[in-house]
Amino acid sequence: MRNKRSKAAAALLAAAMMGGTLIGCSNGGGNDAAAGNGGGDGGSGKEVTLKILHNWNGSGTGDVDPTPVAKAIEEKTGVKVKMDYTKGSEVEKVNQIFATQDLPDIYTGPAWGGELDGIIKAAKEDQLVDISGKLDKYPNLAKAIAKENVPPALYDKAIGAFGDKKYMMYQNQPSTDKDAMDWLYGFYVRKDIAEKVGIDPQSVKTKDDMYNFLKKIKDAGLKESGMPVFPLGGFSNGWAVGIGNTMFYGSDYVDKGDGTLEHVFFTKPYEEYTLYYRKLISEGLLDPETFTQTDPIAQEKIKQGRIAVLAAHLPAIIDASKNYVKAHPGSDYVPVGPLERAGAEPDRPVDLGIQGNNVTVITKACKNVDAALKLLDFLASDEGFKLVRYGVEGVHYDMVDGKPVAKQEFFDKFASDTTGKAKKNEGFSIGYEDMTGQDRLNSLGGDIWADQDRIAKMDNARKILRPNGISVISAYNPGDVMAKSPQWEALKPSMDKIGDVWKEAIFAKSDDAALKVIGALRDQMNKTGYPDAIKYVNDNLKGKEVVKLAMPN
Amino acid sequence: MMANPLLKRIWRHKLFYLFMLPGIVWFFLFSYVPLYGIQVAFRDFRFSGGFTGSPWAGLKYFHQFFDYYQSSQLIRNTLLISGLKLLIGFAMPILLAILLNEVRSLKFKKTLQTLSYLPYFVSWVVVVTLMQRLLTPYGGPVNDLLLSSGALKDPIQFLNNTTWFYQIIVGSDVWKNIGWNSIIYMAAIAGIDQQLYEAAKIDGAGRFRQIWHVTLPGVRNIAVILFILATGSLMSAGYEQLLLLNGPATAAIGSVLDVHVISAGIGEGRLSYAAAVGLFQSFIALVLILTVNRLARKVSDVSLF
Repeated sequence: MRNKRSKAAAALLAAAMMGGTLIGCSNGGGNDAAAGNGGGDGGSGKEVTLKILHNWNGSGTGDVDPTPVAKAIEEKTGVKVKMDYTKGSEVEKVNQIFATQDLPDIYTGPAWGGELDGIIKAAKEDQLVDISGKLDKYPNLAKAIAKENVPPALYDKAIGAFGDKKYMMYQNQPSTDKDAMDWLYGFYVRKDIAEKVGIDPQSVKTKDDMYNFLKKIKDAGLKESGMPVFPLGGFSNGWAVGIGNTMFYGSDYVDKGDGTLEHVFFTKPYEEYTLYYRKLISEGLLDPETFTQTDPIAQEKIKQGRIAVLAAHLPAIIDASKNYVKAHPGSDYVPVGPLERAGAEPDRPVDLGIQGNNVTVITKACKNVDAALKLLDFLASDEGFKLVRYGVEGVHYDMVDGKPVAKQEFFDKFASDTTGKAKKNEGFSIGYEDMTGQDRLNSLGGDIWADQDRIAKMDNARKILRPNGISVISAYNPGDVMAKSPQWEALKPSMDKIGDVWKEAIFAKSDDAALKVIGALRDQMNKTGYPDAIKYVNDNLKGKEVVKLAMPN
Repeated sequence: MMANPLLKRIWRHKLFYLFMLPGIVWFFLFSYVPLYGIQVAFRDFRFSGGFTGSPWAGLKYFHQFFDYYQSSQLIRNTLLISGLKLLIGFAMPILLAILLNEVRSLKFKKTLQTLSYLPYFVSWVVVVTLMQRLLTPYGGPVNDLLLSSGALKDPIQFLNNTTWFYQIIVGSDVWKNIGWNSIIYMAAIAGIDQQLYEAAKIDGAGRFRQIWHVTLPGVRNIAVILFILATGSLMSAGYEQLLLLNGPATAAIGSVLDVHVISAGIGEGRLSYAAAVGLFQSFIALVLILTVNRLARKVSDVSLF
């Protein structure tokens, strides 16, 4: 009897273990399916839930769900949005969702680089919904992807690359000139440190000036909280310390002197640029951790006041240094330069590639395409644009003389919050902005949440860094043409290595070793079809205006 | 009835087999079912075609890997790092198990054991973040301690430095896994007949002699089996650890196949290429296991099969 009981208990235990294993393996797909489709119908007014992947690393929501803005969107469209965010590489995320078929209903993410390549591949391989037949019902979306509203190269490459079919919706392309956003990329130094070392940041013009400036900061032996201050640093994964490249060459493709183009990686200026940064690293002028650090660590260094010169765009610098500046008045970051630009006359306006930055697609997993289009069309409307940027009228802002004016209560709340959570909790900056069609922030009333201090800092930096104004690039980008060359598939893996190889080279033990690292990749590029690919580029761009000068934006 | 003696035996010990069933199901689902995905290495993977519908590419991606200018560097780095880990990381748990076995205070022994297991359960992300904090030359406690004690004149850049890279990689791997890997040896030592120790004592053997003549032979078989299995990992140097600890400064000696597979597959979307490199790794691992297994059988009569 006892034996039987123990046998039964053992059998039960084994069955439970096996059951547990299998349950552990499952992913509870039932709920996901419900979340994905909601079982409703956007057209009939029933509630529909759509899952949106906002593929921008670092984006995220606050503590409130649903937010007042999300509730208002739901009231207007009948669509409840379930946002998903990316933590880590956006390129990896694109490849991962399509390879594993773990698809959201709507994907929205960067309109460039490997992210866009992934979306184009997905479109070619029937992973996305063709919306061309439905665009007449959604005028706001149609407008955002009309040929005249998309940069030509991007239209050829992505938006209009599939004949009559349309898969991608395009966002944040400036609607008018006054909506063009200049992010004011550059080197910014802490004002108090520049004063301490006795150098006027505006006197720093050449690469030698820059080197001497950083050296002087290093020699001053400054410390914050007992730790040394780095002369030059950046944000996570090295963003954007490499922007000093514009002191060495004008753009990624340079004229060889005979009218034909060459990728800058094969040129002498690229070597000089690399060796200059190697010198900064080897002499302790550039934070060596900057290329491997995570965003929290980068932010921590800035918040502790441990970076003297920061390379990035100004909004990021203002946000990251807010706390430190508040506690240490006079430590604001101010522009260095303007620095010399290789190949550009001193009185030339700054050449910026100002264009949209986001594409949105509906994946084949979306079973309620009409609801998705209804939602996106609403977001791209003026009403949707204002709701997402300004909030609910009467709650977050009022219209005064036809212009939106922030409610003081919310303005103060957002201005005093250094974490950004207060804004997110109302529904701002949690991803909806990237689905609002053309950028018309200034046309519709400007940024009502920007405080005077921030506006003043941006204006001041603009005056210093753009003394001759800006010029929006409209010429052809040879990189887009190269991506269409027959050699591209074999060449792309080598071209993708350029950034990694540059970083490896600047950490090399000697200049010779650095050049050897570069030389090895050049050989590999030649082996994988670069000569034919650049010939294809030159043949196709003969007689056309090509980007030869470009500043980061 | 059941004529087959194997089936008869299974039926007789059905309860034991029932206990094995979850493990068999696990292996079937996660180690055998995915094998059909191997074909991706021989196809031009397309999202729409999936594993079976993508066009055939033959050995294209294997050629691509061997034509890649860093393929030999990747293989060399992988073998070197995993070889060092095997050499040092394999012996350490045996040593720890023997040392723990010699501890007489049960409370102390249990505490020590628990402490040694703990790092195994901490993810590499946390371990590497801790290391970054501890080892940074900019206010890190390790450098501060060495500087204040006079052992150093200038702080050392431990991370992102080729001079210290292998020490850091192997040291952190040993620290993280030593406790967990010693469990099996502790079990083997616990299974040694106590009469052998008593007999050794009567013969005049001290503690070291007992370890040499009783404990070590007691764990020898399990050590050989684990060594054979560990050789299968020689082509795999540890994805998470190297992804997190390797940087541009150490890329020349720290880039390994595992990270290359992930960055090509997920980072660049070259899934077929990544599968081909992964398959190459597995193939070499299989050859290594078979070779070492054969050698072990010849040398020690202990083998996996």
